[in-house]
Amino acid sequence: MEDAQQAHVAFFLTGRRPADQLDAVDGLNLRPALFARYRTLTELRYDFPLVLADGGSGEPFAESLSGLVDAALSGLSGSETERARKHVLRLEQEIRKLVAGGAGGTLTTLWDKAADALGRGTDKALEDSLKRARKGIKLDGELTDCDEAMPARLIRHGWSSVQQHKAAAFGKNIAKLNLKLAEILRSDFESSAAGRSAKNLRESVGSAHDDTFDFAAMSRMLSTSLPKNAFPESRRRRISQLLDVLGSQRFFPLPDASGNGKGAKAYEFFFDSCAAALVALRERMPRVVELARAIAIAELEIDGQYNEARHDALFEQFGANGMDPQDLAPFPDYLICMNTAKLQAAEHAQLMEILSSGLPIKVLLQTDDILKESAIGEGNLTSGMRSRQIANMAMGLNEVYVLQSSASNLARFRDRILRGLAYRGPALFSVFSGASGKASGLSAYLTSAAAMESRAFPAFAYDPSAGPNWASRFYLDANPQVDLDWPVQAFDYEDEDHQSVSQDLAFTLVDFLACDRRYSKHLARVPRAKWNGSMIAVDESLTGEKRGLPEKVPCLLMVDADNSLQKVIVDDRLIREARRCREMWHSLQELGGVHNSHAETLLAREKKAWEERMHQEVESHPQASAVAAPAPAPAAAAPAASAAAVPPATAAPASAKAPAPAPVEAEPEKSPDDAYIETPRCSTCNECTQLNDKMFAYNENKQAYIANVEAGTYAQLVEAAESCQVSIIHPGKPRNPKEPGLEALLKRAELFQ
Amino acid sequence: MNMMSATDCLLQMCDEQFDLEDYQSGVPRWCTGCGDNAILTAVQRLCRDEGLRPEKTVFVSGIGCSSRFPHYMKTYGFHGIHGRALPVAEGVKMSRPDLNVFVNTGDGDCCSIGAAHWIHALRYNMNITVFLHDNQIYGLTKKQASPTSPIGTKSNTTPRGSYLEALNPLTVTLGVQNVSFVAQVVDWVPEVLFDVVKAAFHHRGLSFVRIVQRCPEWLPKSLDPWLHDPQRLLFLNHEKGLQASEGLSRLYKNQIIHDPSDLSRARDIASSIDPIPVGILYRNPEVPCYEDLRNSGMLRTTAMAKSGLNAEFDKFTVWPEAEQAQAA
Repeated sequence: MEDAQQAHVAFFLTGRRPADQLDAVDGLNLRPALFARYRTLTELRYDFPLVLADGGSGEPFAESLSGLVDAALSGLSGSETERARKHVLRLEQEIRKLVAGGAGGTLTTLWDKAADALGRGTDKALEDSLKRARKGIKLDGELTDCDEAMPARLIRHGWSSVQQHKAAAFGKNIAKLNLKLAEILRSDFESSAAGRSAKNLRESVGSAHDDTFDFAAMSRMLSTSLPKNAFPESRRRRISQLLDVLGSQRFFPLPDASGNGKGAKAYEFFFDSCAAALVALRERMPRVVELARAIAIAELEIDGQYNEARHDALFEQFGANGMDPQDLAPFPDYLICMNTAKLQAAEHAQLMEILSSGLPIKVLLQTDDILKESAIGEGNLTSGMRSRQIANMAMGLNEVYVLQSSASNLARFRDRILRGLAYRGPALFSVFSGASGKASGLSAYLTSAAAMESRAFPAFAYDPSAGPNWASRFYLDANPQVDLDWPVQAFDYEDEDHQSVSQDLAFTLVDFLACDRRYSKHLARVPRAKWNGSMIAVDESLTGEKRGLPEKVPCLLMVDADNSLQKVIVDDRLIREARRCREMWHSLQELGGVHNSHAETLLAREKKAWEERMHQEVESHPQASAVAAPAPAPAAAAPAASAAAVPPATAAPASAKAPAPAPVEAEPEKSPDDAYIETPRCSTCNECTQLNDKMFAYNENKQAYIANVEAGTYAQLVEAAESCQVSIIHPGKPRNPKEPGLEALLKRAELFQ
Repeated sequence: MNMMSATDCLLQMCDEQFDLEDYQSGVPRWCTGCGDNAILTAVQRLCRDEGLRPEKTVFVSGIGCSSRFPHYMKTYGFHGIHGRALPVAEGVKMSRPDLNVFVNTGDGDCCSIGAAHWIHALRYNMNITVFLHDNQIYGLTKKQASPTSPIGTKSNTTPRGSYLEALNPLTVTLGVQNVSFVAQVVDWVPEVLFDVVKAAFHHRGLSFVRIVQRCPEWLPKSLDPWLHDPQRLLFLNHEKGLQASEGLSRLYKNQIIHDPSDLSRARDIASSIDPIPVGILYRNPEVPCYEDLRNSGMLRTTAMAKSGLNAEFDKFTVWPEAEQAQAA
């Protein structure tokens, strides 16, 4: 083994770097080669900044600036469209720079600021372009960049949007109930002696007719016709109590009192710790039960359905066994925003208590650093283990909506965030902010995107309301190239001979770790003079389990500050981490139906059985096989040769035939000697029942049957058969052989047997 | 998945249960053998099976034999004037969208004097269930030709036989914008009559059901060929519509598959007079209901009613000149 190669292998195995062979990476400002294009994010168009929409029905709660600009540009037409497009894209870039520089405000504010910075006042063409495009921007709101504060800001904004809709519906319902209940009391009063008094009548009509109308006489007349079934006192009392409960609720601010409901301040539902949320929850639960009960009773009262005998006992026990999510749906959801850095043991236990409660509590668990070394010490990285563990435990509870995502992907997960916030149970949003990248000179966006790309912090969602099984509940497709171990991207560069070279590069966990300065000791740059064929890509080194002395050392392609290509070898510890990360990714793939081991085993078994069947068929028809090879089986008959994913359930092929009729209970065979009616075909025409209502009667569906064949004569049976509109009465044989005119009757009956 | 809350489930247990008798009011005066009896039974069964509260249910009718229907239902009813059942029903629905509103109308009531209301009711698509009792004759006034009387029908007004082709209520209905549910059934197959009545009730929008109905008094034989030959009924089967039961299929073998969302095919089928198509011809649950479109969501408070009335009165108020000048 040559010296250089020996030094590489030694570094790989021990992490010790011989200074004469390998360079330290500290201070070289290296970053993965695939990051070469992402030096200045403000010059790129991507999902950030986001506009947190002010709200309005039908509007998304957040939209990316570039998305809004694209929509506005697509609406432009007429002359100078290209000019306008260039101007607007320049403006977008300017806004992005302002936001990255820390400027805050609404889109309108920053649009104007950026337009002024570009010289709108002096450039008429620019002013015209921006004016035209501005008309196409359909929403406004605060802008937020992808920074440490963004996840909480976005989730809270979405939560507020959901709560606003709930508050509107709740307020409307309470107002309706209040009005209707008050109307019931009012109607009771109007019917009472006081309501019909001369004084009240005069006040109702007004003073204009005082001289011409005798209200006392009218009162006397009305009093004589007071309704006898007076309004029960218990009902009056019950309605008054309902009005008190509805009027004093503190769950939503009443629409006309901005935050105050009849002087009582509305409850706060946003918390920064589980402990505080739990205390509030326990305190308020009796009020929830009281209000939910009042709403249910009020609806019955208004509908005129409340029956004391039936309902009093039911409502006495209301809520004693807890409230189910459907009952809690109209009430506000709790939101807890917390950071894993502050998640101590007690708080962790309370978090699990909350998630397993089934109550509509939404939790944002933000992680700023997923690469902190484990407290155990040497050899272990946390790699976001804490948040991953909590997300997995939450999924294990089955009824928790779980969403895990890097901050960079949250814009794409808007709909899923909203779905989690609207879910009628607990929801956990586990987000990696990417804030830790700052120490290594990387933006939060790039760090969080790299975490997702490298499978260090994969994105997924588990929605218990989406269906009965994992196939419908679990969503993994947000991750890049979900069926691969590591996503592969094309990398183009210019070599020493100024020739263009294109290469596919996998982005592995090691690339992500190489972005973080804390891991620089596990990396060593190989001087260009010592590059040799013993260096292989990290993903290649992970493909098989190597035993014995390695001949090749894993190496990363990185670029320095000048975008010059560098090769950096890594030590075994990072490779071990990458292997562990890949195994965890495999587990997620299985949950998502990608390379599912059960499905693949089943497929292999079916394929083998199919091949054996085909083989037996060929053997049992030797002549046929001698003449021609067996015809290939239809594609659908043979199991697929390979399956990357569990195939989704397919709909049954459309059939041209009439659908099978709905089965009916088999009717017992009727004896031709007995009289009977084909009751299900009776059209209730009354012919037979009018003839003899003892012999013929109607069943519970008002269709005729023979109730008592002895209750009439055979002549009546025959007459009924003849008059039946749908000919479904069968007279059978006469029971009385002495009945007069039997011979003629039997002849007439023949038609209906 | 059960979407009812625990409270709703418990309350449902306390719901009042109804029998057929709870919806029966008086003895119908219709002639013995009249197809109206079959329709009445099917509708009473629907009310019982769906647990429709009588005080929340309204039957509105115009004039004619069929329009006596509300008298025989122990619910709210409105026996209106000739041809005007639909606008009355629309008014009821607009004012009280919580009520179950049904309309019973005859071929004269709906297709002659009430034809304009019929067309516009279809276009408004309010959530009302409409039964057209089509016996092809004016029965209450003792036999005059109606718009749906087959050509050649001899009656008091057409003693030499009617000269015009009968109007086809199905093709007319299917030609109106916003039509959302059209079905046809015959009164002498009670099982399908009930199924269609039920499907019509469950459709949200105006459900138009033409019921081909015998008149044993004035046209006693006119439907006999169809009554006595099961092959002359064409059953429309579909998983999205109705499916004939096994028992029914033994007798009525003439069946086709028809997707009720296919409007063009529904129009083709509707044109058939013989065999008579039976089942759901067209259903489109996506057509908006007028009462939903016009619902402002505002509560009708006393103050709102007062300001509305004042605004109307102000249109006719003559202000003294001095006040006018002051207001200006």
